[in-house]
Amino acid sequence: MVKLIAVALALIFAVGCTHVAPYERGRLAHPSMTTGGRGAGESHVYAVHEGTTGGGEVAESGCGCN
Amino acid sequence: MRSVCRWGAIAKRPGVARLALATLIACAAISWAIGDARAEDEVSKGETDKPDAGATETDAAPAKPVRLEDTARKRATLETAAYTDSNNVSVLTPSVGFGIENVAGGAALRGSYLVDVVSAASPDIVSTASRRWSEVRQAGTLNAAYKPRDLGLNVAASFSNEPDYLSYGGGGGINHDFDEKNLTLSFGFGFSRDTIGRHGTPFSVFSREVNRGSFQGGAAWVVNPSTLASLSLDVVVENGDQSKPYRYIPMFTPADAAQAQRGASLDWVTSHRLPERPLEQLPLNRSRFALSTRLAHRFEISTLKLDERVYLDSWGLFGSTSDARWIFDVGKRFGIGPHGRFHVQNAVSFWQRAYVATPAPLWNLPEFRTGDRELGPLWTATGGLATAVYLGGSSEPSTWALRLQVDGMYTSFLDDLYVTSRTGVIGTLSVEAEL
Repeated sequence: MVKLIAVALALIFAVGCTHVAPYERGRLAHPSMTTGGRGAGESHVYAVHEGTTGGGEVAESGCGCN
Repeated sequence: MRSVCRWGAIAKRPGVARLALATLIACAAISWAIGDARAEDEVSKGETDKPDAGATETDAAPAKPVRLEDTARKRATLETAAYTDSNNVSVLTPSVGFGIENVAGGAALRGSYLVDVVSAASPDIVSTASRRWSEVRQAGTLNAAYKPRDLGLNVAASFSNEPDYLSYGGGGGINHDFDEKNLTLSFGFGFSRDTIGRHGTPFSVFSREVNRGSFQGGAAWVVNPSTLASLSLDVVVENGDQSKPYRYIPMFTPADAAQAQRGASLDWVTSHRLPERPLEQLPLNRSRFALSTRLAHRFEISTLKLDERVYLDSWGLFGSTSDARWIFDVGKRFGIGPHGRFHVQNAVSFWQRAYVATPAPLWNLPEFRTGDRELGPLWTATGGLATAVYLGGSSEPSTWALRLQVDGMYTSFLDDLYVTSRTGVIGTLSVEAEL
């Protein structure tokens, strides 16, 4: 488990953490970046059909919109 | 977190369709009323702001009242999801959601309410010769958040109610932005108490309590001007007896258990099992861990979202879930794209296709036993198409959106009695509006 977390962290942070100024976030503010996710009914079907759980939205999700 | 058969207990509820319909109509009426009130508000604002042609600058009339601009954003969502599968399970889920957000003040209030109308004759309960049954579940959530600057707080409450299952929960969280909102760290916790009962029996006569504590830590960050990423770790600790009080487990002699084939028929099981059928018994504690990542990338005319979740728990279940959505813009008012999902998991450590017991009077049962297919080894492939039509004004068409998504699902049960696969279809139609 620890190895798994370490690999995931390494992969994701390897993507880079470029500083993006607020005025450069026009694309990130596109509605499709923040909407159109799973609805309540669909989420419930997956929750019922899969023996696993977790992975909800992270609070404020990076907030690239303003 | 309950399986299709967990969607309900044996219950016959006449009028459930009427209840769902009434809920939908009520939600639509509320949305209409809010929209109407807003229209009246704008008319009155127009009249108030209209200059008085007869007035002169020397008039000593009192100053006109100043109307402060309403910076609140109000959103409402009306959604209906329908599901049906080859195991004779069908579910209709109408839901409504709302959100009020004061962008300037950093306060937000969101809520949702849904009704599940489940009808089933699942093979899980065929062995108990159950009839087709239907049931209604109601669930709601309320979330309040306050984030005036970089530091934000939020509290949430939820409930879920069905004839034999009651759940209440609450929680809170804290998050902080760093580096001009290029990075957000968050931490949250929650607690819920579930009461499991039997339909037709008061909770005071028969009930079991399951307590659940959950913790989530996460980071979300801006990767580049087109990409957002997030990573979160969920830890859930459950205490209590989650065993299904309706689920009887067939027992076999060692010789018959060895002959039980994957997907063995009801007739074969009935003719070979021991006369005694104990109830399901699960371990009383469970610790669950999930590590999830998300990447959202905006291309020139499309948006790609990738999700991956890796999961393991103290019952020995290990699973992976991958989800991808790719929506292409077709002009300013239409979007369409594919959706795919793949889930695979092994079995819990006490899983047996056919459990062995010593016949009475010795009656030596396995300590833990289950017939819940979602605790066995399986994989599910899901694929479909999502569309969106944006109906808002020309400057912001997405303020009103009509969405339709249809997915097909195929599940292969790798080590189960009765069934080897399941094919299902789920469709979701929703309207999102910024009021």
